[in-house]
Amino acid sequence: MPTFEDEIRRIMADETARLRAAPDLVERIMRSRTKRRRARFAALAASVTVVAAAPIGYLTVGSVATPGPQPTASATLEPPAIDDTPPIPSDPPSFGDLGDGRAFGRVEVGYLPKRLKWSNWSVNFGDRYTTSYNFDGDKNGFYCVAIYMYEDDAVQEIDDRIRRYRDDGEGEEVTVGDRSGYLVVQFVGEDGMKGTPTLFLRMGDKQWAEIMFSPVYVKEFSGRQAVEAELKKIAEGLTSTG
Amino acid sequence: MSDAEHDFGAFVAARATSLLRVAYLACGDETEAEDLLQTALERTYKNWDRVRHDSPEPYVRRVIVNAAISRARRRAILRIIPMHRPPETAARAADADLRHVLMQALRALPPRQRAAVVLRYWEDLSETQTAEVLGCTVGTVKSQTSKALAKLRSALGREPVEGVIGNAHVRG
Repeated sequence: MPTFEDEIRRIMADETARLRAAPDLVERIMRSRTKRRRARFAALAASVTVVAAAPIGYLTVGSVATPGPQPTASATLEPPAIDDTPPIPSDPPSFGDLGDGRAFGRVEVGYLPKRLKWSNWSVNFGDRYTTSYNFDGDKNGFYCVAIYMYEDDAVQEIDDRIRRYRDDGEGEEVTVGDRSGYLVVQFVGEDGMKGTPTLFLRMGDKQWAEIMFSPVYVKEFSGRQAVEAELKKIAEGLTSTG
Repeated sequence: MSDAEHDFGAFVAARATSLLRVAYLACGDETEAEDLLQTALERTYKNWDRVRHDSPEPYVRRVIVNAAISRARRRAILRIIPMHRPPETAARAADADLRHVLMQALRALPPRQRAAVVLRYWEDLSETQTAEVLGCTVGTVKSQTSKALAKLRSALGREPVEGVIGNAHVRG
């Protein structure tokens, strides 16, 4: 009789049997690398070139398309290769290059634990935005600390979540300097580990920060108290610039 | 074409489909699996001079699995995709539905548990090798795999059999 593990193996084999890597995968990877090199070259060129006049037909942010001659193919991008696959859904809007990542949106980060670098990753939805920090600055890597900001109407979500934690008897009220906050261990899709230690910090009537430690990063510390102390130090160092 | 490009092309031709399947099982979505694979191979190509002399496949696999976990966790944090839990009640599925039920249950697993199952039972990595890929201890691999199997067993309506399947035994 096959074991349960064997049954899983068989089902996974059946499920993936139809999958085949695209035959042009190598070409796509090479092309992607070339495109990035070209983009870097173009960015460099743009940084040292003064553009005298924008070509007719280009749209700027906030402008309205008007009838008129369309830019010719030679004036725009090269035509896409015929074997290009449909585009993958685009990433959410980000802040772009944040340098050391200590200032983003309307907040500045005054303190980060040792060895942490900006992860080169951020998301900006306007009234809620976030970035994270890890050891190697790799945007595809694990995060160690994430800071999620909520502003204006979005702060309602934090009010609701803290109320639920309070009602469930989870977490505790804390004071960080002259600001109030709420300390709790959340479960945000992690994997049976011990949860995500989080400090919600009230930075103003219309601005809250949610500071999270990855459950993996937590293991760098000696225990719960050490983690909470670091969360509070990060919270103390957060200043509103809005 | 340079020697490095030729070697890289040969590696992709030989291993891309196998790696795509790992990516699919790790993330549960075909389009995202293709993106994960391409991203991982781009990174590999960038470091090919360094990677080619070792075995490149474990490197690519590690990038795929960790990127899948990282993306899933970010989505959870961003509340773009709510985390689902496997069905609470066991339901024995007809054989024709088993794949669907298993894949649903696999997708519903927390990302590291899912990765542990894929690495252990699809890639047939040892617990030590799985721990190396996931950057955790062997003990964590054991516990994650055990919890994952318990959930999959529940989803598939399989009752645990005491003593028969050692590391799938439900603790607590």
